[in-house]
Amino acid sequence: MSGLVVLAVDDEPRALADVQRILAASPRVARVDTAGGGRDALLRLGEGSYDALLLDVRMPEIEGIELARLLRRFDDPPEVVFLTGHADAAVEAFEVQALDFLVKPVTRDRLDSALERIEVARARRGLRGGEHAAPRTAPEVVALDNPEGPGKRLVRLETITYVDADGDYARIHTADGQFVLRAPLGQLEEDWGPASFVRVHRAHLVNLTHAVELRSQPNGTAVLALHDGTELPVARRTVAALRRRLKA
Amino acid sequence: MGAGAPVSAHFVNNVLAAAASYIEDDPDHARDILAELGQFLSFRLRETPAPVPISQELAHVANYLRLQQARFPDRIQSDLSHGAGAGAGGRMVEPGSVQGPIAEALSRRLGESAGPVGLVLRAAGDGFELELSGQDGAGRERLGIGLTTVEGMLS
Repeated sequence: MSGLVVLAVDDEPRALADVQRILAASPRVARVDTAGGGRDALLRLGEGSYDALLLDVRMPEIEGIELARLLRRFDDPPEVVFLTGHADAAVEAFEVQALDFLVKPVTRDRLDSALERIEVARARRGLRGGEHAAPRTAPEVVALDNPEGPGKRLVRLETITYVDADGDYARIHTADGQFVLRAPLGQLEEDWGPASFVRVHRAHLVNLTHAVELRSQPNGTAVLALHDGTELPVARRTVAALRRRLKA
Repeated sequence: MGAGAPVSAHFVNNVLAAAASYIEDDPDHARDILAELGQFLSFRLRETPAPVPISQELAHVANYLRLQQARFPDRIQSDLSHGAGAGAGGRMVEPGSVQGPIAEALSRRLGESAGPVGLVLRAAGDGFELELSGQDGAGRERLGIGLTTVEGMLS
């Protein structure tokens, strides 16, 4: 790959200068253009093509979310990564299928992981011969309901240890507490499968990156232990496949 | 005791991004922005919030405006020189009680258009009057900022 062509869009000139500087320093990036607002960004998009837009959420005239919605009508839309001053502002970002979101000021490591995601998404799109379907990757961040307060909370998928089925809801367990999401476990299994989530039981979906031990039980079932001490039952028909997957 | 409006994470993160942008080209300016932000946060995140004299709250407003000017160079023209009279008689107020309404109004104006914003704060009646305007005085508006005087802390 010859390097990404990126358009950074922010109405705050200094925040824009900062992200432009660290993008330009990245070996993954071939060229960085900048736009001081949504209107300016649309002009730029009319003049050339971009692999990705790094887009501020709050801007005068055309908000970042609105611009992302417009982009989805393009034949070969660039990937969208939101850049925001506050994580709460990014919840909507996932409704417009953004690839990632970054909180300003972003560390170089975090920016690099977003650029890597852009590379992967662009490569997959290229392999599919210009198909416009979104690549089959798990989201990096999910918006969950906070059971103890109003609003949504953004949680990185990798920090989720396991999920329990709870009626129409899924109860999500993370190191920072529990959250809920109105979704059947089967749907989450499909959406999050690419990120090492495996259905070990009718009622449990587990992030295998948090698993430490698989213990067989005399009745043919098993118990999966997680590094936080949680032990989850593994259904009999799942044990063999799980053992192969974990090479246990 | 209720403190003023909470400090906005959006504001703090954008100030940090502005400071980061100057690190290579103008490290002294980057350092000044960080020092100003430290001052701002120290005033608002004290372990034991207590009422402050109006003069301190006005210094906090000036501190806040310098941070906004770092984010948006050349967009904000401010004049606080007519506000000092409100501090007569050693009145005490909650920290952030003047800065909060100014931040709300200024953020709204900055978000409405990409043009310049003029800001004048005057002592008026029992509190302040905030005047905001755009390019060449366009879109002029005046907002009252009422003050609840707080008794000084018991010794």
